[in-house]
Amino acid sequence: MLAKASRSSGKGYAIALTAIIALLALGPFYLSDAWLGVLGKAYIAALFALSFNLLSGQAGMLSFGHSAYLGVGAFAAIHVMKAVQAGLFWLPTPFIPLSGALAGVLAGGIAGIFACQRSSGVYFAMVTLAISELIHTIAPNIQELFGGETGISSYRAAFLAFNFGRESHVYTLILIWTVICAIVMWLFARTLFGRLAMALRENEGRLPALGFNVYWTKVVPFAISGMFAGIAGALLSIATESANYSLFSVDASTAVVLHTFIGGSSLFLGPAIGAIIMTVFGYAASDATRSWLLYQGLIFIALMLSAPRGIALLALDTIDDIADRGARALLRALLIVVAVLLIAMGIVMAFEIVTQILTTEYQLAHTQTGRWNSISVYRVKWDPLSPFTWLVAIGSVVVGVLALRRYGQRTGPAP
Amino acid sequence: MDWFVISLINGAVYGLLLFLVAAGLTLVFGMMGILNFAHASFYMVGAYAAYALSSVIGFWGGLLIGPLIVALIGLIVERYLLRPVHKYGHASELLVTFGLAFVFQELIKAVFGQFLINYAIPDSLRFSAFTVFGTPYPFYRVFVALLAIVLFVALIALLRFTRMGIVVRAAVQRPEMVGALGHNVSAVFMLTFGIGAWMAGVAGAVGGALLTTSPNMALEMAILAFVVVIVGGLGSLTGAFFSCLIIGLLTTFAVSINVSLADIGRFIGLGDTLAALGTVATLKLSTYAGAMPVLVMLLVLLIRPSGLLGERK
Repeated sequence: MLAKASRSSGKGYAIALTAIIALLALGPFYLSDAWLGVLGKAYIAALFALSFNLLSGQAGMLSFGHSAYLGVGAFAAIHVMKAVQAGLFWLPTPFIPLSGALAGVLAGGIAGIFACQRSSGVYFAMVTLAISELIHTIAPNIQELFGGETGISSYRAAFLAFNFGRESHVYTLILIWTVICAIVMWLFARTLFGRLAMALRENEGRLPALGFNVYWTKVVPFAISGMFAGIAGALLSIATESANYSLFSVDASTAVVLHTFIGGSSLFLGPAIGAIIMTVFGYAASDATRSWLLYQGLIFIALMLSAPRGIALLALDTIDDIADRGARALLRALLIVVAVLLIAMGIVMAFEIVTQILTTEYQLAHTQTGRWNSISVYRVKWDPLSPFTWLVAIGSVVVGVLALRRYGQRTGPAP
Repeated sequence: MDWFVISLINGAVYGLLLFLVAAGLTLVFGMMGILNFAHASFYMVGAYAAYALSSVIGFWGGLLIGPLIVALIGLIVERYLLRPVHKYGHASELLVTFGLAFVFQELIKAVFGQFLINYAIPDSLRFSAFTVFGTPYPFYRVFVALLAIVLFVALIALLRFTRMGIVVRAAVQRPEMVGALGHNVSAVFMLTFGIGAWMAGVAGAVGGALLTTSPNMALEMAILAFVVVIVGGLGSLTGAFFSCLIIGLLTTFAVSINVSLADIGRFIGLGDTLAALGTVATLKLSTYAGAMPVLVMLLVLLIRPSGLLGERK
């Protein structure tokens, strides 16, 4: 992040970014409520990923249990919403994420005190995961705080002209908070403390020689990261009007890790891009397949092996390449995209067929009728016994791999 | 009194099972510097493989072949997934193993379903080994403990008395030097990884029948394994052994203690005040038992961060 991610003019990207945000801000005028809901969740995931990257991308600390701070923020917010509902005090809905911030910074600070004890990043990862699982185990038992199995629910109170009953109001609130937090995090990276956090990642041993206390230099970014995660959690509570202990599960922690590194940890907005793409994909794909999470994991591993810097940097590098070398580079990029798509489609097709065969309904139908029924993938019916089916599936993978070998290249190592 | 003895034995059995998994993790980390987040996934795959095979070739066949399949998977993972990312640094390796753990879990869910499956103790092993104060103690648990002890002794013997074992121990201390002396360090690494995976597979094959077999078992075991290595010190097999026993005993005892903070308070007359604090004070220790290992870990981190027996690095 200290060096420019690409050589193209930073101004161009700033303008493009502002344009995109403006376009998204006008969403309520041309997007359906369903889309607004999905995008709202995507922004929350993006904010969460940015908070995660504050630790991992900047400070080099991999927090595998980050959902703890999301959950803490969510529950703080829902309790505040209930208190407002009961008339105990007054806090306008747009300011409720502040309660999430407070809860998040406290939780992050306390967790940080434990997790930063040992200097190795490996221990940090283990301890953060264990802490989050601890909360996940204990939470359902503490009825008053976490609402047991069913969780706690409330409703959004109106504020001034906004009654927050409409999806577009919630969407705008989430977008505003996300953009503000992103800007604050970006500025933080430029403060002395942000630079210190980066120094942690680059050369931790040198910090004590410069007179800084390494332990607190780690705990403070942890607390701040927890703060932004708490804000994301609070926004989630506002969006869903509920909070449940399942937020503490390892699924949310895993998701944010995948999003961050799929998008790219070394570019500031990389995690946000990864989170938005994956969340939107997730909603689109979850109707078509039950194995979306598996595919997400496979994408992650494939990227870590071949393009560890993530999709965002890959895209930027490609744009640079095209700017340099024109049409040939563009053609090559397109070929690579097509090859990757072929491989993905082949694998997904083979996998969908196999998993469908293994489901109990299919097995039941098979034992009853003795036939291997056709399975529908990509809205086409395929016969699992026909060699043509497997030719298509395996063939696309083979063609894709061959094309990649011929035209692909590897990007550099992860920073 | 019989509760105490039975809990003692149960705790030891549980701790020994845990050790089968933690030993491989410790060896691999000590040697290769990689913390394999997917190690507990080998445990899970071992259980599921043994389950799937046991319906075809019986429990013993599953116990024999299942871990071998897991070892094969371990070798493939090391060679094709971990070795290429080695040059990208520790963080990348950690991330790949993390992603791998996730993928294994989803794969198991896709193939076997997301609920627990009925991997049961075979009837041939359902008898009592001995009686403790009149209560029969199941042989299967003794079998698990004996298996773990035998494997532990074999591992120590392998490391201490064979030529390959000496090379492995040297590679744990000074991998580059061992390579400079002409040994094929990559092969040694692969072998160690495979053995670790195999042991985890054996643990899964026997443990899956004893405990539950579900896609969640990898995460639960992973947390326990991490607690063990943090408490015992990463890189130390002896440290892992003792902390396994401690964790096993603590968890087992906690499960059977139906005492809560409020109950303790009653002894000093503060029962009602504590009970009014809410659920936290009235929860029995047995409900918190699942959280005991992590609480111990947090305690150790505060008091003695380097673990019971220190660490290699």
